[in-house]
Amino acid sequence: MARSLFSRLTSLPVQIGERIGLLDHVPDGLAPGQRPPRHTFRWDLDKTYLRTEFDSLKDLAKNAMQNAADKQAYPGATALLRALHQDGNRICIVSGSPTQMRQVLAAKLRLDGIEYDEFVLKNNLKNILRGRFRALRAQIPYKLPAMLQSRLGAAADCETLFGDDAEADAIIYCLYADLVAGRVSLADLERVLVASRAYDDDAERILELARRMPKHDAVQRMFIHLDRKSPPLGFRRFGPRLVPVFNYFQAALVLYQDKVLSARQVIFVALEMLDSKQYELGHLATSVQDVIRRGRVTRESALQLSEEAGEAATSGALSGRTDLPPFEQISQAFRERVRELGTAAPAAVDDYEQLDYVRLVDEEHEHRRSRRKQGIS
Amino acid sequence: MLAMHRIVVDAMGGDHAPDEIVQGAAEASLQLTSAEIILVGDAAVLGRLLPRMRHDGARVRVHHAPTHIEMDEKPAEALAAKPDASIAIAADLVARGEGDALVSAGNTGASVLACARRWKLLDGVQRAALAAVFPTELRRGEKDDPFSLILDVGATVDVTAEDLVGFAVMGSAYAKLVSGNRRPRVALLSNGTEPNKGTVEVIAAHAALVGTTELNFIGNIEGLDIPRGVADVVVTSGFVGNVVLKMLEGVSETVVRLARYAHKERLAWRLGLIALSSAIDQLKSITDWQQYGGAPLLGFSHPFIKAHGRSNARAVTNAIKVAHKSLAGNLCGNIARTMAELDERARRTSRRDGAEASGAMPPRSAGE
Repeated sequence: MARSLFSRLTSLPVQIGERIGLLDHVPDGLAPGQRPPRHTFRWDLDKTYLRTEFDSLKDLAKNAMQNAADKQAYPGATALLRALHQDGNRICIVSGSPTQMRQVLAAKLRLDGIEYDEFVLKNNLKNILRGRFRALRAQIPYKLPAMLQSRLGAAADCETLFGDDAEADAIIYCLYADLVAGRVSLADLERVLVASRAYDDDAERILELARRMPKHDAVQRMFIHLDRKSPPLGFRRFGPRLVPVFNYFQAALVLYQDKVLSARQVIFVALEMLDSKQYELGHLATSVQDVIRRGRVTRESALQLSEEAGEAATSGALSGRTDLPPFEQISQAFRERVRELGTAAPAAVDDYEQLDYVRLVDEEHEHRRSRRKQGIS
Repeated sequence: MLAMHRIVVDAMGGDHAPDEIVQGAAEASLQLTSAEIILVGDAAVLGRLLPRMRHDGARVRVHHAPTHIEMDEKPAEALAAKPDASIAIAADLVARGEGDALVSAGNTGASVLACARRWKLLDGVQRAALAAVFPTELRRGEKDDPFSLILDVGATVDVTAEDLVGFAVMGSAYAKLVSGNRRPRVALLSNGTEPNKGTVEVIAAHAALVGTTELNFIGNIEGLDIPRGVADVVVTSGFVGNVVLKMLEGVSETVVRLARYAHKERLAWRLGLIALSSAIDQLKSITDWQQYGGAPLLGFSHPFIKAHGRSNARAVTNAIKVAHKSLAGNLCGNIARTMAELDERARRTSRRDGAEASGAMPPRSAGE
C-alpha cells in the first residue's frame, strides 16, 4: 500500500511533465531478475481496440471531449485482450493518441478490465512546442522507436502485433518484424527513415536502437483490423504472417490455429461479439468461411475448433446462456458454412518476400495525399 | 439489432458476371448493415474476386455452384441440363429457407422458371408477374420517382380477370414500398378509357377493381398515357406488357439514333444539341435504369429482383437494396394481406348477392 503510494507520488512529476509536453513517457522494462515474457502482444488503440472516428475536425473534437465511458471497444477486442494477458504474457500498447489523452484512455482500459504492461502515447504537444510539425502526422518515426525501445526493455521469444488499416501499421509492423529478425540492414533502415521524413535526431535514435537490438525472428503474427474495410488483397504482399481481419473472431480463429488461444477462449471472444448485438451467429459463421476462403485458416482447424468448442461448451463455457441455441446447432451452422464452399481450394497466400520499404513508404505518402485531397483524413 | 435479411445473389448471371455482380454485392455489404449477402457461384472464382474489393467479410458469404446458365441458353433445356447451375441453387436456397430474397442479372427465362418451379405462390395469387419500370413525364411518391411500373411484362402471357386484379394488388404494394408512394394510381391498359372497352378479361377486371377501396384504381388508360405518367402502376397481360415494353425501348433507341444522326449531319443541329447537352444529361440521369436496380417478380412467397442483363456493379447494389427494402417492408406479406382482404370482400359481396337473389335480405336502398 505504502509502496504503491510512493510509486504514484514519484511518477507524478513525469505524468505532469508528459501532460504539458516536456517529458516523454518511457516504459519501464523488466525489473532486475524478472523473467522475460513468453509472448508479447503489441496493440494499437484507435481503430484497432477503440472505435474511433477522426476523419474530420468534428470527429477529432468529439474524440477529445469524450470521457472513458463514452469510448467503445470493438466487439470481441476486450475478451481477446483479456485472454492474451494470461500466462504471464506482456501487453504493450502504442497509440498515436496524444499524451493528454492518457487519463481518459487508461480509465477506459480499466473500465474494460484490461491490464497492460506498457502504454505509450504520442507527445504531440512537445512536437508542436519544438516546431516539428512533420512529426505530428509521422507514423514510422514515432511508432518504430517506441516498439524497439519496448523490446530492448523486455524481449519476449514471440510477438504478435495488432494494428489497423487506417494508417501505415502494416508497413511499420513488418519493418519492425524484419528489423528485429535482422532482415533489414541499418543502411536500408536509414533509407526508409529518409523516405518517411524523420527528423535527423529521431533517425539517429532509431538507428541506435536498431543497432543495439539482439536479432531474433520474434514476430510471428500481425493482425490488421480492417476498420476501413480495405480490400484484404492489398495486404497480400506482406506475406502470410500478416492477416487482415474484419473482426476479432477472425483474429481469435487464427490465434487458435497458431495454438495461442484455446477453444474456450475463442468462445469468450465470440460471446462478447454476440452480446454487443452487432453480430449474430450467422456473421460469426460467415467470418469463419471468409478466413478459410482467404487461406488464413484451414478447414481442418475450423472443424477441430468446432469439436473442441463443443467440449468446452459442455464443460460450462456456455452455461447460463439461455439466449443461444444448443451448441450442437451452432456447431452445425459453422460446419455448414465450411461445406458451402464445396471443394474449391482456398486462395494461395504468397510466401514472404523481402519488402521494398522505401517504395512502400512512398506509396503510403501518395495514398495519404490523395485521401487528403478527397477530404478524408 | 435489426432483423437480418439474407439476400441470395446469382453471382454468375449477367453480361458482366461475375466481376460486376461481386463488386455490387461487396458494396451492398457495406451499405446494408442488416443484410447478409449470399453469393452463389464458382467458389474458387468468387473467392479470388472478393478480396480485391472493399466489403464486409462478416456479411458476404459464398455458396458454391459448379455451373451456370449463359444468357442465350434456352431456359427449360438449360435448367434440365444443369441442375447445379448457380440460379437453380440460388432459388433452392431461398425455397429451403436459407435465404429470404433472390437477385439475379442472368438469363430472365431461366431465373423466372427456376423460381416458379421451387417457390410457392402467395395465398390468393393465381399467377406471378414480372414488373418493369419506365420513365414518365410526371413524378410520384416521397422520392419524386420518375418511373412508373408496368406489369406483367412476360411472366404470364394469357391472363384471366382474376390475374389482372392480382397484378394490380402486387404492383400497388410494390410501388407503395419502393417509390414511397402512399396511394399509387393503378390503371388497366386498354384500347379506350371507358369501362366497357378492351378484352373480356380487361372489362371483367375493371368491374372487379372499380369497387375496391384497398387500391387507388383510376380506371383504364391508353398506350399514350403510359409515358405521360397518368398511372403509377399499369396493369396488363404478359403478352401486351412485353410488346409495350419493347416498343418503348425501341422508341428511346430510335430517338438516340436520330440525335446521333443530327449531330453528324448539320452544324446547326450539332450546335443545338450542344446547347441542350446539360438538359439531355439531366434527362439521362433521371431515366438511368441502373439507379432503379431491377424488375421484381411478384406473386411468390419471396421477393425476386431481376436486374438488367447488362447490370454493372451500381445496378447490382441497387437491386440488392430493392430486395432488402422489399424484405424490410414485408412486401410479400402486404400483397398476401391485400389479396385476402379482396377475397373476403368478394365473398361478402357474393353472399349478399346470393341472399338478395333468394329474398332473404331486403333489397338495398338507392343511397346504400
